[in-house]
Amino acid sequence: MASLRTCTRLANAARFTPAVWRRGFASVEPIAATTEKISASSELVSEKKTSTVKEPAPDKDSKIKTFHIYRWDPDHPDQKPRMQSYTLDLNKTGPMYLDALIRIKNEVDPTLTFRRSCREGICGSCAMNIDGVNTLACLCRIPTDTAKESRVYPLPHTYVVKDLVPDLTQFYKQYRSIKPYLQRDTPPPDGREYRQSKADRKKLDGLYECILCACCSTSCPSYWWNAEEYLGPAVLLQSYRWIADSRDEKTAHRYDALNNSMSLYRCHTILNCSRVCPKGLNPAKAIAEIKKGLAVTG
Amino acid sequence: MHRLSGLQRDVLSLYRQCLRSARKKPEETRENFRSFAEEEFRQHKAIDKKDFSTIEFLLRKGRRQLETYESPGITNITR
Amino acid sequence: MASIARPAVFRQVCTAAPSKRVFSTRTTPLITSAFRTSKPLSRPTPSTIIRETLPKVASFHATASRPILPPPPQRIQGTANDPAPVPDPSAFHGAYHWTFERIMAAGLVPLTVAPFAAGSLNPITDGVLCAFILVHSHIGFQSCIIDYFPSKRTPKTRKGLMWLLNAATVLVGVGFYEFETNDVGLTEALKRIWHA
Repeated sequence: MASLRTCTRLANAARFTPAVWRRGFASVEPIAATTEKISASSELVSEKKTSTVKEPAPDKDSKIKTFHIYRWDPDHPDQKPRMQSYTLDLNKTGPMYLDALIRIKNEVDPTLTFRRSCREGICGSCAMNIDGVNTLACLCRIPTDTAKESRVYPLPHTYVVKDLVPDLTQFYKQYRSIKPYLQRDTPPPDGREYRQSKADRKKLDGLYECILCACCSTSCPSYWWNAEEYLGPAVLLQSYRWIADSRDEKTAHRYDALNNSMSLYRCHTILNCSRVCPKGLNPAKAIAEIKKGLAVTG
Repeated sequence: MHRLSGLQRDVLSLYRQCLRSARKKPEETRENFRSFAEEEFRQHKAIDKKDFSTIEFLLRKGRRQLETYESPGITNITR
Repeated sequence: MASIARPAVFRQVCTAAPSKRVFSTRTTPLITSAFRTSKPLSRPTPSTIIRETLPKVASFHATASRPILPPPPQRIQGTANDPAPVPDPSAFHGAYHWTFERIMAAGLVPLTVAPFAAGSLNPITDGVLCAFILVHSHIGFQSCIIDYFPSKRTPKTRKGLMWLLNAATVLVGVGFYEFETNDVGLTEALKRIWHA
């Protein structure tokens, strides 16, 4: 497998890239050092000398499934995005969509781009729209029905960086704006740590598990239209996580930050968020709790 | 002269911003930054002016690049 | 929206071969704007079945090139490392507005049932019902405008529509007043329509 990967990498590197598409890069060296010319490495193995990776030959009892995957290359911005089809033998592929994607990348098409890290639903990197539902590719089983073709898109209504990689800048900026950290002015009574009763800790269950994969936010029609101002379910759930925290002392400030027509009240209880959450959380309930709290405190 | 569309004005203002921030770089490498910006814009000169989504993408990319290269820690740029 | 903006396209579609897409306004993502995947979150819906069974007719919105207009581009304020700007708190547009809206909606239920249940016609209940309907629909439409015409992206349209809504509300209010004072009133009119 490792040699295979090396082969693909070499085959990929050997391809000639016109200078126009090559990215410029910034340097922080002292000025004197930069006068020498930077040239592309010339020790590339030409494609004639490396082996070509072919799609695995089908077996007799193979279960061939077709995957249609959204492709878009930022190096050719004037080309329309396209759906590319790949066929995989399910007997040789792992059970999850992420396994299929990794196998495609390793063995068929190394140019396929997607984010992945933990492959077990903890990092939230591989969020994408699979067969019309936002989910984590690592937690989504491939249906064994080979007659049905699968379609994989990046998260809806996000700018695409490349292929299946969405641009989540705005999402993270919004997360930053809710100050997702403990805010306190008073030191702990015993001078050691901030303690919490079991009941208080229990309030955070179902909130702290959120991994910020953005599946819920990008499934929310309200967030599609008002991503600049409406915070979206994921960020509101996080906001409530800090509002509900008994150790936090800036609850009133946190409420104030949400008390306007856009940040919170663009939620129209569509409940897509709760339906898609790959971790089984309920952002809609958290939003309802914030609304309740605001209605009481004003 | 005909009136520029909003998008055209955006492109021009980005270019202006690029040149302005190039002026804040050390004198020896200023020219590099300026020509880098110029080249980045020249590259996509052929894009159809009705191809809004492409232009918007390039604008977004350009803004991001400018944001990165503006940082005072970056003293030189090469292609 | 798309067809209103481009009547010529609409005409072409009508004369063109019947479209396969009868009810869906969105088609393949290839056609939509290049950098946003606007595939709506959808599982197979009943409309798929309807589509198979009903006669195939070109629908109002089934333009070949672009099913609906894409939302205007998003502007990200500040650098990637700044937090998104937090608006000033205003309970008038926030919590109070929401509470008021809910009370209004909840209050409409007894108000609609009461006159028919009691069987008596009270001009005051009638007037209150009219006022509630007016305010309720005003808030509802306002919410639609705020949702679909963000002031960041389409400030002029937003403002224009808000004024249009205000004018419409005033007009309807005057209409209700006239109807209540010079005509039979809302409850009575409904009663008559019901028995007609």
